[in-house]
Amino acid sequence: MNPFKPFSFSPRQAFRVWQREVSVYKYVYKSTIVSNLMDPLVYLVALGFGLGAFVSRIQGMPYIQFIAPGLISSSIMSAATFETTINTFVRIHFDRVYEAMMATPVTVEDIVVGEIMWAMTRSTIYATVMLGVVTALGLTHSWYAIFVPLLGALGGMMFAILGLTYTSLLKSIDQVNFYFTLFITPLFLFSGVFYPIDALPAIVKTIAFLSPLYHLVEIIRPLVIGKIGFGVVGHLVWIIVFILIFAAVPVNLLRKQLVK
Amino acid sequence: MRMISCVSPLTSGSLRVFGLDTAKSMREIKQRLGVVPQEANLDDQLPVEENLTVYARFFNIPSNIALVRAKEQLDFMELTEKRKAKVSELSGGMRRRLLISRAMMNEPELLILDEPTTGLDPQARHLVWDKLFELKKRGVTQIVTTHYMDEAQQLCERIAIMDQGRIIDEGAPQDLIQKHIGREVLEMRVSETMRTQILALSSPIVKGFDSYRDLLVLYTDEAERVLEKIKRGDINADYTLVRRSSLEDVFLKLTGRRLTE
Repeated sequence: MNPFKPFSFSPRQAFRVWQREVSVYKYVYKSTIVSNLMDPLVYLVALGFGLGAFVSRIQGMPYIQFIAPGLISSSIMSAATFETTINTFVRIHFDRVYEAMMATPVTVEDIVVGEIMWAMTRSTIYATVMLGVVTALGLTHSWYAIFVPLLGALGGMMFAILGLTYTSLLKSIDQVNFYFTLFITPLFLFSGVFYPIDALPAIVKTIAFLSPLYHLVEIIRPLVIGKIGFGVVGHLVWIIVFILIFAAVPVNLLRKQLVK
Repeated sequence: MRMISCVSPLTSGSLRVFGLDTAKSMREIKQRLGVVPQEANLDDQLPVEENLTVYARFFNIPSNIALVRAKEQLDFMELTEKRKAKVSELSGGMRRRLLISRAMMNEPELLILDEPTTGLDPQARHLVWDKLFELKKRGVTQIVTTHYMDEAQQLCERIAIMDQGRIIDEGAPQDLIQKHIGREVLEMRVSETMRTQILALSSPIVKGFDSYRDLLVLYTDEAERVLEKIKRGDINADYTLVRRSSLEDVFLKLTGRRLTE
């Protein structure tokens, strides 16, 4: 049987998958919002105030001002990544939520789209809450910042596709760690969140250009500080092309996991 | 089973459920099916009642109707007290009943159950049987796979005995027993040399026999008479037992007594 048979996708059924995640989230949102947002906030406070005291201005702004939009971007990445790696792995292998769904009029395509929609929802929530914190600290200087939640959704989609692709290949939960240590952490450190990538050696700079997070940071920072140039369009195109190229990958991989 | 419930692709041939092709109409078929898997795949992150209502959403059942049905199902399966409980707090028998409730949420025309009582204690098993019997009376068609022949005998009107993926025989439980075994069974443990003697003595009134190591099983309509005959033949057995025949005898006779794995 050809696993690459024609797609069978129903927006309504994908919405049902999304709704299941919302139902579960009602029970866990308090603990997850706090624990997931603590991370970027600790960086913001510790590095922004601590390291910021020793760093002179970067690109003409105080250090905390520089890293605040970067940390909004990385919270988008981590929200979508957690959702589509650890949580998705548990749904496939431990709780077997997808197996139960597949006994109903839900297909693998619906599951993948529903999960991406859900990861986008979470990254949008986090981007919005982080933006609120940054604004409360007086670090938002432009009304363009109202587009940040939209980028939460777009960036969430990008990282959800990546996360689902990786998770669909896994056999053991331990392998999830590799994704964080070998991919997410380097992205976090080399994507212009904490310093401009101009500071990096030429080769690393080229690699940074391949980082999805880098392009997200380079859109969100101008929106928050209000200095928008044409560069933003280039980064936006990069993200959209990336999504278009990889969008169909997780469906085909997950089908192999779920259809036996 | 997985092919009927449209979760596994066909290995070969074609399959129709409700007259619909499983390769083309899987959503329509699944909409009308109820599936009770062997291993509980309940949603551990949701409380008992929401397991039912969230599941009902996948069938696009409006939430007010789903809530009414969930209450009915929990009541029917004697789980009402547990409606707010976490799934992890349920016993094995409760989980199985909840799985059946969940499969009933879309009021299926056909309920597929994979070993519905495997791993349950006797009380829990009988409660599940009782509920399945009740559903049967209400007109819910059920397909059950099981290794327990007493379960098959209790629940099923038609049985297909399968071995290595092939149907060896099928029919009503009583017909299968009468056809292959007869009314009664005589079991005894004797040495191999005596075996031929016994078979010669009893042959006219024995329908068939089976043996495994020192165990000899005779299929007959008149076990007491056979036993008398053998005793008169001055044969001593370590162990003899006369009992009514059951579906298990049919299964063992048709599929063999040796482990096939």
